Amino acid sequence: MTEILSALASGFAGALSLSNLGWALLGVTLGTAVGVLPGIGPALTVALLLPVTFTLDPISAFIMFGGIYYGAMYGGSTTSILLNTPGETGSIATAIDGYVMARQGRGAAALTTAAVGSFVAGTLATIALTFFAPVLASVALRFGPAEYFALTILAFTTVSALLGTSLTSGLLSLFLGLALGLVGIDPLTGDARFAFGIPQLLDGIDVVILVIGLFAVGETIYQAWHYGREPIEAIELHDFTGMSREEWRRSWKPWLRGTAIGFPLGVLPCGGTVIPTFLSYMTEKRLSDTPERFGHGAIEGVAGPEAANNAAAAGVLVPLLTLGLPSSATAAIMLAAFQQYGLQPGPLLFSSRPDLVWTLIASLYIGNVMLLVLNLPLAGVWARVMLVPRPLLFGGILVLASLGAYTLNRSLLDLVLLYVVGAVGCAMRVYDFPLVPAVLGLVLGPLTEQHFRRAVAINEGDLSIFLTRPISAVLLIAACLVLVAPLVGRALTARQARRKAAALRT
Amino acid sequence: MLFRACVLFAALVVIAAPAAAQPAFEHLRLVAPAAPGGGWDQTARAMQQVLQRAGIARTVSVENIPGAAGLIGLARFIGEQGNSDTLMASGLIMLGAIVTQRSAVTLHDVTPIARLTGEYEILAVPVSSPFRTLDDFVRAFRERPESISWGGGSAGGSDQILAGLIADKVGVDPRRVNYIAFSGGGEALSAILGGQVSVGINGLAEFAAQIEAGTVRVLGISSAERLPGLEVPTLREQGVDIEFENWRSVVAPPGLTPVDRRRLEAAVDAMVGSEAWRETLTRFRWIDRYLAGEAFGRFVDAEEARVQDILSRLGTGADDAPTVSSAGHYPLIVLGGLVLCAIGVVVGRVRAGTRNQERETRIPDPGSRIPATWRPIALIGAGLVLDLLLAERAGFVIASAVLFWFVARAFDPRHPLRDAAFGVAVSTSAFLLFGRVLDLPLPAGVLSGWL
Repeated sequence: MTEILSALASGFAGALSLSNLGWALLGVTLGTAVGVLPGIGPALTVALLLPVTFTLDPISAFIMFGGIYYGAMYGGSTTSILLNTPGETGSIATAIDGYVMARQGRGAAALTTAAVGSFVAGTLATIALTFFAPVLASVALRFGPAEYFALTILAFTTVSALLGTSLTSGLLSLFLGLALGLVGIDPLTGDARFAFGIPQLLDGIDVVILVIGLFAVGETIYQAWHYGREPIEAIELHDFTGMSREEWRRSWKPWLRGTAIGFPLGVLPCGGTVIPTFLSYMTEKRLSDTPERFGHGAIEGVAGPEAANNAAAAGVLVPLLTLGLPSSATAAIMLAAFQQYGLQPGPLLFSSRPDLVWTLIASLYIGNVMLLVLNLPLAGVWARVMLVPRPLLFGGILVLASLGAYTLNRSLLDLVLLYVVGAVGCAMRVYDFPLVPAVLGLVLGPLTEQHFRRAVAINEGDLSIFLTRPISAVLLIAACLVLVAPLVGRALTARQARRKAAALRT
Repeated sequence: MLFRACVLFAALVVIAAPAAAQPAFEHLRLVAPAAPGGGWDQTARAMQQVLQRAGIARTVSVENIPGAAGLIGLARFIGEQGNSDTLMASGLIMLGAIVTQRSAVTLHDVTPIARLTGEYEILAVPVSSPFRTLDDFVRAFRERPESISWGGGSAGGSDQILAGLIADKVGVDPRRVNYIAFSGGGEALSAILGGQVSVGINGLAEFAAQIEAGTVRVLGISSAERLPGLEVPTLREQGVDIEFENWRSVVAPPGLTPVDRRRLEAAVDAMVGSEAWRETLTRFRWIDRYLAGEAFGRFVDAEEARVQDILSRLGTGADDAPTVSSAGHYPLIVLGGLVLCAIGVVVGRVRAGTRNQERETRIPDPGSRIPATWRPIALIGAGLVLDLLLAERAGFVIASAVLFWFVARAFDPRHPLRDAAFGVAVSTSAFLLFGRVLDLPLPAGVLSGWL
């Protein structure tokens, strides 16, 4: 413990030099800007910067990369909340209640809870990274295809929290997403499925296209259709100072729970940020006394997922630094950057280049503070976006959406897909279908299928593997409980009510 | 601006390298047919640095066109007929994809320039594995081939090709190789380290840190001789006579004039001969496999035949023996569920509708309080269609300004001039932000002269 503390102290000594602070500031600023722009992720940014940083000393470069990485996670929430346009998959869950809050004039509160939640989660996760990285990494390796399959099944149960008013409508939306997920090369055999000979479809339908199409384009068409035919709901900004006392009280527990869900799932080499954010959203809805507020501007629905995605982002650094395993696109680039400097991240990195690792970790703490300082005052400014006249706001949203879709692969087909999905999204809204299950289906469907088939293939076709491996069995049981518990709970309260009624009669 | 600021900052900290006299290319464009981070992206970005530092080209840009193991990039690249200042990274994995996808576009459709690098493959197990040598492993594999799971990268890629070659050499039908394809190097490596699969196949670079730390036991490397500085036995010295490497190359668009082709070849030749390229090779642990011109073309043909042969015998790309783990059932379940839910929804809504009619109290549909007008929908639809038509022909700025104008007018028809002004402003600034500041050029179209 003392060893770690003294190593961390020397890391801070390195990171707190004036030029390194400059690089950290540049990194978090760039990262935030990149997170706000749809279609450009932190991976591409770091790749673009690689040639620029080549002549720098590696410590400075990695401090900046770390800043970009954390900054992009912060920035992603802004467009989700204000424009209903999540730039990255990690901020889809944020858009559900965040955008409603913005429409209610509580955008500043949503942005503040996102910023503070990200800070809390980022800092706690970095502390966990500092002290437990090697232990966590070895636990993460015990996750094989069977465990990942069970995890995706658990994630699927979150759909139950997102169904909306009708079971069949919600399931139809989910199956729509699952069906879209079938498109493209089957990664296990290399076979193309449902690609209809179109090369751009070989890689499947990008989640970003579906999300921007359903949310941003669909919303725009829907709003245009209704604009002028209904009294315009005037948006009044509640306050510019951020959250009320009540909102602070509602937010702090989701921040901590989001961190607890996000960090361990981020450590898993195939974790990603979608599963933790939705698990956090479902947890908050289930634990809430007033679950009916979710989907109508519940601040917990923003606080939890935003904390979860930042904690997961920090978790990704654990396998990268301790084992040399890149588990996200950005981590893959950072690995390439390490190699550019002739460094090989792996089990020996902590002992061979402690100066580099500990300065990087120290700069993550510093970057988090910088991001909070940078983003808190901006929350009030950003929230004013909602005051832009509707025609200009939605015109801008569509231009931004088309830009994001096009820059993804530089393909016109993606634009066509975006607009088709947008029309479908508008129709779904008119006929009262929930949109999020479709997104969840597209993200989780292919993962579930692949992990299932891998696990079964490794076990030579024997299905018992899912129940004989303890972690997998526990996760599957948890998934059953999530589905069954509310039904049992309802049955119990109904019986109690009957008994009371009976008792009253006698 | 931020990127520019960053470049400036870097320039202040570091003294710029002295520039050479006269670069052969004013600007050279490199296409990496993969997402940032992979082997082709690294190759392209390494070339970018060396070409600039050695003064062969004044500016070099890298463009990522990811997808389908390089096929999407290849298809796009073939469309650049006669473009003489652009190169694309390619290699063995692209050949594998061409074969598995029965692709209409192949490496015969582009101009071969040179093979650049090779990377050896490693067969490894975690230290806790019962297999201590290649012999142990081969014995178990011959006994019950299906019980051995081979973890590696994407289906049809170099890892699976080597698995098939090994099976063939030790006398097992390659079709019986239980190959588990993982997406991404990190995913495969974590399955190997965690002992989720019996044996792992991956590039030497991916395994290097693990070998150094002693967390994996190497059963064999696919090089002809032992590598200096690496205490690892070859497959060949242990009786499995295979020499295999994952090679990477560069190609140019089709339809080049002989002069243009020689100019590109000379530039690559100068790059390979430079000191900076030597450094790059050692840094990434790539082997120098420079082979240019006609000889490279013949090499590609030979490799294509070898890949075609082994992949057809591995049975990829053709699903002939459906098992629980094959792709057969899942799509049926999903599509069946989709149809069932659709029927459920229709039935539910029709019933609800009739019940409401009986009661003669209709639930107010949010869209029907005032008779629907289709004008806004028509305007947005027109904007979207025009955007698609104009985006690549007239350029991004015009297309987006038109889109903005139509959308804004769908909301409120009273301010056509204001909307037009904002449309032009928004799309121009977006274009400049992406093209100039972020170096992600958007189609400029007819305005390319002005912007």
